[in-house]
Amino acid sequence: MKSAGRRLRPPLLSAAAFAAALLAAQVSADQAAPQTPARPAAPARTATPPRYAPPRLANGKPDLQGIWQVRNTANWNLQAHGGSYKTPAGLGVVVDPPDGSIPYRPEALVIKQKNWTGREAEDPLEKCYLAGVPRTMYLPYPLQILQTETEVAILSEYVHTWRWIPLTPLDRYPGYESWMGDPRGRWDGDTLVVETVGHNDQTWFDHAGNFHSDALTVIERLTRTAADVITYEATMTDPKVFTRPWTIRMPLYLHRDMDRILENECYIYAEEAGKPIRGQHPNE
Amino acid sequence: MNRQVAAGLQIFFIGRVVALAVLVAAAHLRAEEPIPQPRTSGGCPVESRAFYECAMAQAKTFKVPRTAEGRPDFQGFWRSRNNGIAYDVEPGPGSFSVPPTAGEIIDPADKKIPYQPWAVAKRNELRTKGFEDPQGHCAPSGAPRKNNTLFGWRIIQPKGYVTFLYESMHDYRIIPTDGRKHLPASIKTWHGDPVGHWEGDTLVVDSTNFNGKPWLNEAGEITSHALHVVERFTPVNANTIIYRATLTDPIVYTRPFTVEVQLNRDPEGEMLEVACHEDNQDLAHMKDVKDAGVGLEKK
Repeated sequence: MKSAGRRLRPPLLSAAAFAAALLAAQVSADQAAPQTPARPAAPARTATPPRYAPPRLANGKPDLQGIWQVRNTANWNLQAHGGSYKTPAGLGVVVDPPDGSIPYRPEALVIKQKNWTGREAEDPLEKCYLAGVPRTMYLPYPLQILQTETEVAILSEYVHTWRWIPLTPLDRYPGYESWMGDPRGRWDGDTLVVETVGHNDQTWFDHAGNFHSDALTVIERLTRTAADVITYEATMTDPKVFTRPWTIRMPLYLHRDMDRILENECYIYAEEAGKPIRGQHPNE
Repeated sequence: MNRQVAAGLQIFFIGRVVALAVLVAAAHLRAEEPIPQPRTSGGCPVESRAFYECAMAQAKTFKVPRTAEGRPDFQGFWRSRNNGIAYDVEPGPGSFSVPPTAGEIIDPADKKIPYQPWAVAKRNELRTKGFEDPQGHCAPSGAPRKNNTLFGWRIIQPKGYVTFLYESMHDYRIIPTDGRKHLPASIKTWHGDPVGHWEGDTLVVDSTNFNGKPWLNEAGEITSHALHVVERFTPVNANTIIYRATLTDPIVYTRPFTVEVQLNRDPEGEMLEVACHEDNQDLAHMKDVKDAGVGLEKK
């Protein structure tokens, strides 16, 4: 990514600092003699904490394996938004441009507005379609990361979606077009970098109708920054739709209470509920 | 899949009705003029039981490549040698949408599914309703069908897991080999809950928690929520795994039965996307097939 405009607060570090401050306050309160007026708590230490050392595979690369999920509302709207019908409010996850807005070309903004108006019917997720990249990563469903020295698999509960990411060289198909794109992975230090092209123009970034064309390139960066956190970042480049690349960033949190992901068969459930997504049953 | 297969499948998806017509034509051709088939595979006869005995003898002397954990290394792209289980596990001359098959059942000896009487009637009824096949509606196929689709699948073995990524319908099965227990019985799934362990060099996958909805194949073979599948993957040479699945279901069958096929490594296999639901025209096509079938019956 080019520049980080709005810095994401590292949540665990903040929590630690808060706890330290609380503890300091407690200690000073305990030590305060009854006859002397209470002194203000000593300021928390501001020294830089040691960098988190992630678990590693035998080849020394960070081990990203586990069951992960976001705790945000990026699936509904990547940009800052208040609450509305069936939509929880959110602070937004766009960190570049610094003002948190997605840099649409003027003609593309018109399409975005049209998507927004028709989102209750037109959001591909309303039809149980594959969510695409990066949206699969911040759905309100858990995903499991599995990893060897040569490949990474990201498996979402939502309509049994896999992303298979080879870390070894593999030619791309010219003209390949797909819902989930064609990813290639590599390590940049302790960060897994995944570059995905070969998208179709059918997926949206969120329920708010933010969209892209088939010229989209997504570069994702996954860094294990704490025991329970992967800092996830994705930079979107699509000259047909955007005036410049833009970046989202958010934490993925480790599920400590799940030992496996389950199934969510969205379109089958719709059919069973008498609301088939597409087509008519041959008996009818 | 490789590029040739990809091109073929594109045609398959563009016109499933056309593809079925071709299958029917092919079945007629076969009846008149048998297409020569290779008689051996990996130095063993191709007939299921003979292959099994020969290959298991090979397996005893095969030095299998191993992962860092010391387990047989199955990683790579595989495909089922025949897709028979996906069509019909019983031997048969073929029908409108089901190609002829020698059958994949190795137990019982008569190669028939040991159905309870009510289940035979149900199967025979469903056999005429191919459009009801849940797979045609893009539902997960469950075991053993998923391992025998037209498409290949990639096996990866992260520490503590064997994981299957299927091209078909971007399905996957994550199989933990850490000795954990099955899900609570109240959770029912299309794929079942797979739990694995190693018996020597054989991967054994035990699946329960089925929802009773998947068919075993296009021929309408049914299962219930009481289904219990035990799959065994035994490497016999660098490019071959013997795959056996034993199905126990006291609601549907009178006794357990076992199917066997071989899986072959496909060094050119790549992982392409098969977005079933998004591209699904099958419901419409199946209606055409149904109407065509009714038309044929009237003639």
